Amino acid sequence: MSGLDQLILFTTDLLALFAVYLIINIGLNLQQGITGIPNFGILFAVAGGAYFTGGLSTRFALSLLGIQTDLSPILNNVSVLALINPILKSQPLIAIGLLILFLAIGGVAGAAMGLISSAPAVRLREDYLAITLLAFGEILNVIGIGYKPLIGGPPGVSVPDVLGWAGQYRFYAGTLVLLLVAIAVFAYAGYLIKTPLGRTLRAIRDNELVARSLGKDITRYRTVSILIGSTLCGFAGSLWVMYSGAVTPTYARFDWTFLPWLMILLGGMGSNRGALVGTFVFVALDKLILYYKYAFVGILPFDVVWLNYLLLGLITILILIYRPEGIVRTWQKEPSPVQPTK
Amino acid sequence: MGSLLQVKSVKRSFGNLHALDGVTLNVEPKTVSILIGPNGSGKTTLINVITGFQKPDEGRIYYGSTEITGWSPQQVYGAGIARTFQIPSMFGKLTVLENLLVAEKNHPGESFAKSLVKRLWAKHEADAVEKASKILELLGLSEHLNTPASLLSGGQMKLVEIGRALMSDANLYLLDEPVSGVNPTLAHEIFARIIRLREQYGITFFIVEHRLDIALKYVDYVNAMASGRLLAAGPPEQVINDPKVIEAYLGA
Amino acid sequence: MEFLPTIVGWLTYSALLSLMALGVTLLYRTTKVANFAHASFVTVAAYVTYTSTVILSRNPYLGVPIAFILVGLLGLLLFYAVLEPMRRRNSSTVMLMIATLAFDIIMLGVTNIHADYLNTVYKVPSRNVLLSGLDFKFMGEPGILFVALGTLALCSAAMYLLLNFTTLGIALRASMENPSLSEAIGINVSMMLAVSWFIAGGLAGVAGALIPLWTEINPGIGTLLLASIFCASIVGGLEQIYGAVLGGLLLGLVDVVGTSLLASVVGPWISFYEPIVPLVVLSVTMIVAPRGLAGLRFRRDK
Repeated sequence: MSGLDQLILFTTDLLALFAVYLIINIGLNLQQGITGIPNFGILFAVAGGAYFTGGLSTRFALSLLGIQTDLSPILNNVSVLALINPILKSQPLIAIGLLILFLAIGGVAGAAMGLISSAPAVRLREDYLAITLLAFGEILNVIGIGYKPLIGGPPGVSVPDVLGWAGQYRFYAGTLVLLLVAIAVFAYAGYLIKTPLGRTLRAIRDNELVARSLGKDITRYRTVSILIGSTLCGFAGSLWVMYSGAVTPTYARFDWTFLPWLMILLGGMGSNRGALVGTFVFVALDKLILYYKYAFVGILPFDVVWLNYLLLGLITILILIYRPEGIVRTWQKEPSPVQPTK
Repeated sequence: MGSLLQVKSVKRSFGNLHALDGVTLNVEPKTVSILIGPNGSGKTTLINVITGFQKPDEGRIYYGSTEITGWSPQQVYGAGIARTFQIPSMFGKLTVLENLLVAEKNHPGESFAKSLVKRLWAKHEADAVEKASKILELLGLSEHLNTPASLLSGGQMKLVEIGRALMSDANLYLLDEPVSGVNPTLAHEIFARIIRLREQYGITFFIVEHRLDIALKYVDYVNAMASGRLLAAGPPEQVINDPKVIEAYLGA
Repeated sequence: MEFLPTIVGWLTYSALLSLMALGVTLLYRTTKVANFAHASFVTVAAYVTYTSTVILSRNPYLGVPIAFILVGLLGLLLFYAVLEPMRRRNSSTVMLMIATLAFDIIMLGVTNIHADYLNTVYKVPSRNVLLSGLDFKFMGEPGILFVALGTLALCSAAMYLLLNFTTLGIALRASMENPSLSEAIGINVSMMLAVSWFIAGGLAGVAGALIPLWTEINPGIGTLLLASIFCASIVGGLEQIYGAVLGGLLLGLVDVVGTSLLASVVGPWISFYEPIVPLVVLSVTMIVAPRGLAGLRFRRDK
């Protein structure tokens, strides 16, 4: 493979990961940075989107394409997909339709997980909330591993290849789809923050007591925030499954809760632009470090992936101590396009 | 009866501390009255109980003919009673203008569904912005429209508090020490404007205030509290010269 | 369902859980932060025992005093290197929590590296390993049962004596109740916090050191237990430190005995879902008895 091809592949891969994380981080920022809800359990929504897409997509594809079979979509996953994928490959429009459907499933699943999370979220103080949501996140993995009919247990399942029609350009098409959704999400978040709804959410974050004295139904607003944020995380989980083509019950707290927090911390909490910058900087650095990390393989008596943990934990602590406001310093002035009339 | 607000035998204790020990008072419509009393006499607790931030242990509260005992702060606000806080409480990262806009009641743009379609809330927003701008002009804060509230001085924050209350188009304003920390000239201006608002719109003000030197000449009635009870209520000269009041408030 | 092994299992688990929860509650009372790093405190201690037993061929219980010191120091490290600088900058509770989470991640890396090291350099298995075979038996039951319960009793008594009969303990309690007043009368609150971190680390160390004698360990053992630890702490109520013991007992009961009962009724497959138990208990507690067993307001409305 030529150097240029390698570069293009590297960049495409990077952009895909960037897009997925951006969607999640916008969702997280909406909850933490804008509304002040420390959701340490976004894994719950991401995994929800991923697992439900994984579990339901093949079923839906079967019935929508009108394929008759006695095979189980989960337990006989490979054989069933052998029936489905060729159809999708030759009919791009249907494939894209399915893609949108699966995305919707992911969003609904994410919202459902968000709804469950919101029960404690509107009642508990920050610290208790964090612990509770953290614990919630683990549940889906337990169910995913233990309950085979969901996504086939530990080995997981594959999903219908909604990008198969792109042939050898499958991953490029995937990255494009991811970026499009990410851009839409980013645009929406920017719009939301300028609406009265966005303003009230920020007010609740800044001073809940006063917001109450002004008649705001705190429970309702926090729930709305969590629902939107979780739906976005559900989208991300679903998209990631479609992009990778498969899902396994191994969505870890490290990847889908800790790292997003680190990214928005890096960029600066409360600002969508901060989330964008933090996500990009992190993903780019991580991918670059990955290449050089493998130079150490064999030299060190341990798996190099643990260096990641050391490095990232350390960076987080350094940011928290020395630059808690993040790279993009926007706390001074948040976007406020409300213009006074003269 | 005609009273706008009636507080009847309200009691509220915190453990062994009897913050409110059977308070009964009335506020007449379109009046400007103040509540005075030494520190710890229960003034802020009374405001808290009326506005729903704390529940009374005993007693009842009426707003017009409706009983509002035990209502939540949201319900009280919806009924037309606005309050300010003794310690200015801002939405720190929001601008001064935004601080006022949040106070706007029933804004369609706050609903998720409606927020998606700008056309459904743009007009209401524009109207709210205009109202807020006028209020800020009244308070002399026009040049700080887009300043984040956390950057304001203490006195300016007090003014924003008042401005936020005024956004609510309430009938009854409960102000908790609205001019503490504000320079005397501005304090006089504020009270003068309160009087004007009463003249123009028939708004009722019930103000907790220490600065008798400033407030006294503007008010219709004075209520004096001590140790959780009402000592005296009536026109200023009467209450100020009441021996019980002198002993409790001004005496050692 | 076999009666005795279930009871043994319950008491052993509860004893260990209570020790760990004691530390969490203590830290919450002093530093006002939920310590996510407690997970790695426990894991490090578990590997101290494992390493000293397998590599240095010592009695497994020797790990307890070593881990007490080591993890106590680890707690001090987390406090002085990370939390104290942040406290001085008035960081919010959420930031402090993230800091403990980050520290936990670092230690997760360290313990994994250590486990790999044992594998590659010393050629011993280091994941999913169990030391219960080296345990002594007393009255037909595994020694760990008695040691765990005994340690819990000993530590609780020691804490009680410390907090009520020593100058240090009284100063510590004062710092918990009213930090600003304590500061004003000359108590070095910062040092009191440090002491609490040492003690909490020590407690986690003692509990973690005993774990390899009870269940399989791997570098993720602490993370697995974390939800249960927090649950025990919260259910016990955070007002009283000893609530953690109650919480540990209750959670252990529901978890071990409850799951066992359920399995005998619906079938063994239910044990797959056992990790959900602490969460259910936590949720029920929040709704039914928000003050926990010992009582503390932690809802948003006051």
